[in-house]
Amino acid sequence: MALPELLPILVIALYFLGTVLFVVGSALRNERLKVASLGLAAVGFSLHTFDLVHMLSGVDAAQSLTAGRFLFCLLGWGILSLFLLLWWRLKLKFLAVVAMPLALMMYVTANATVGVSTKLPPMLSGLFFFMHIGTLFASMALLAMGFGAGLAFLHLEKRIKTKAGLKQFQKDMPSLDTFDRVNHFVVLCGFPLYTLGLASGYVWAWLSARRVFSLDPKEIVALIVLLLYAYLFHQRLVMGWRGRKPAVMAICVFLLTVISMLGINFLVPTTFHGFKP
Amino acid sequence: MDKTIFLVGLNHRCAGVDVREKFALTNVADFEKSLLAACPLREVMALSTCNRVEILVVADSDRCAGIDLPEAVLGHWAETCAGPLATLREHTYRHSSLDAVTHLFCVAASLDSMVMGEPQILGQLKSSYRKAVETGTARVIINRLLHKSFSVAKRVRTETAIASSAVSISYAAVELAKKIFGELSGKTAMLVGAGEMAELAATHLLASGIEKLYITNRTYSRAQELAKTMHGEAILFEGMVDQLRDVDIVISSTGSPTAIIRAKDIREVLKKRRNRAMFFIDIAVPRDIDPDVNALDNVYLYDIDDLKEVVEENMSARQGEAVKARAIVDVETQAFATWLKSLALQPTITDLLGRAEEVAGRELAKTLKRLGDVDDETRAALEVLVSSVSRKLLHEPICFLKRRTREEGTAERFIDMTRRIFNLDADAVIEDAHLDRRTVDDEESCGEILDCECCRDDSISSPDSVADKK
Repeated sequence: MALPELLPILVIALYFLGTVLFVVGSALRNERLKVASLGLAAVGFSLHTFDLVHMLSGVDAAQSLTAGRFLFCLLGWGILSLFLLLWWRLKLKFLAVVAMPLALMMYVTANATVGVSTKLPPMLSGLFFFMHIGTLFASMALLAMGFGAGLAFLHLEKRIKTKAGLKQFQKDMPSLDTFDRVNHFVVLCGFPLYTLGLASGYVWAWLSARRVFSLDPKEIVALIVLLLYAYLFHQRLVMGWRGRKPAVMAICVFLLTVISMLGINFLVPTTFHGFKP
Repeated sequence: MDKTIFLVGLNHRCAGVDVREKFALTNVADFEKSLLAACPLREVMALSTCNRVEILVVADSDRCAGIDLPEAVLGHWAETCAGPLATLREHTYRHSSLDAVTHLFCVAASLDSMVMGEPQILGQLKSSYRKAVETGTARVIINRLLHKSFSVAKRVRTETAIASSAVSISYAAVELAKKIFGELSGKTAMLVGAGEMAELAATHLLASGIEKLYITNRTYSRAQELAKTMHGEAILFEGMVDQLRDVDIVISSTGSPTAIIRAKDIREVLKKRRNRAMFFIDIAVPRDIDPDVNALDNVYLYDIDDLKEVVEENMSARQGEAVKARAIVDVETQAFATWLKSLALQPTITDLLGRAEEVAGRELAKTLKRLGDVDDETRAALEVLVSSVSRKLLHEPICFLKRRTREEGTAERFIDMTRRIFNLDADAVIEDAHLDRRTVDDEESCGEILDCECCRDDSISSPDSVADKK
């Protein structure tokens, strides 16, 4: 089976090349380079999809659901698919700058965690998997886009507000309104997904261990994220927040989720969310 | 037969408006014809706009040896315009041979324009060229030179950022608005007070797709008047702040000595409009809008000085791009010089035979490959066959060219034709390569009036789009 062994290297190389080409293309204002980079990313994405399907179709499919490699792989895949969706709906090619490196990072992390498996009991069902991991990952992918759009918004807004003048790079960027629309989308869809993901986790914890909260560090951070997310959701949808404040909030929330995902999973001893062998 | 190319002209830099209007050519076609009759010239093309007059001339070197041609052209020009020759001599420039080519390329690429990078001049050049072709005063060399100048202009436009940013205040404001709101369709603007620049900015906003324009003025009748001409809606000055909740872009230019829009008003307005972004353009001096407004989230305020700065920055960016553009012009001038040299009998024959040999060689190789192993005799016979076919085929055209060369004045036309038929210069066919040939649908576009280079400052439609319709 040569292909599955080569696959990760191919995907990593494609994502890496795509990222580099996109950055160079943006710097040189070369549309052809950008298109080429998106093409590479698309090929990488299809191989990535194939990789996921391959993992699921194997004999030990049930086991791979809880494997660290599969989870990170899925997260990277989610980020890219969201980017492709945003690109299609909002014509936001610009977000490739965030989506491709993040997908690359997740995929590399995934492959660094080969052999690592979470200690979730095997009674984990497909439905629960979808409710907990799927929703959380989708909302994290959304947050990643919100993070990129937020950074871009803050940068462009500062240039316009301080009258610092727009360089060619900023002139090629989409408008402030577009970035704000991404933020709106992220908040609108991301928060319900995140809430669903957390709630399903608690329900499952109660069903399996008759205990809702286990003071797991990851759960604590997740609760903080949920609170911040809820605040952002409320302010954005009810109080009419727009522009800078929700952008800053989205960046903070995303960074916190990254901490909870990578930092806690790898560094802090945790009951069952960790990826320590 | 060697050719002399030269160009005399005057522009906004070397001649004041009084001189320019005195020596503007009102009927270019007549001037071209009378100039051809008066001087021993081959080809003539003149361009006359309110910022410049350029007269491009091609002559045979040996026919006009001993005659000061530029002086003769100037004399005829002064006569046509009934002006003093001395004034003309003092205010004109003269370029000869490749300098003239470079100058023409620079003019076409708008490197010589008053506002560098504005495309109007190219449209004017195209229409002048078309007229010269119609009157029959533009032939082989001017044809080639002008087509080249159009492609140089296109290269400069696409390969440099010379025309990419706004260099007028009102355009800079529209550009900023697009950076904030994205598409302007569906947005609403308000004009507070009146003034030429504010009205201009409002016109540009309307042209960019603004949905509604409110107009307010201390004198309500003035607001109503403006509303009629700009298809806006007049509102009372007292109701202005209340109306702001529906307005995204505000252009203010009243003569009020104090601020009429204050930060605390806008804070209230923002609450009502749920923080949707607002863009304030304050053109008035003293300022109409409290500078603190800019400190509010989702509100952007630019006053006249800020906009001037944007424009100046864009201008200096254009200057930087001009260096790149000049490099393109230099390269293209050299290419033109090479072509000019090849426009003689001997180089054309060499090129023709070379092309034939190349094609024959290629086909021979293909055939030999298909045949597989062949003995040396067959191979030699095949080689002789293809080379003699190609040479014999070219024998008649070459003899024809030689005969034409002995006649006066027809050689370069046929040499040029031959080079084009066999595509010896390996030119790509550019989009306006057939500008000199009229088609049926052409008639209507000819009726349109081309804008003048200097009337540009803020016109939205670029007139060269007229010429591009071809």
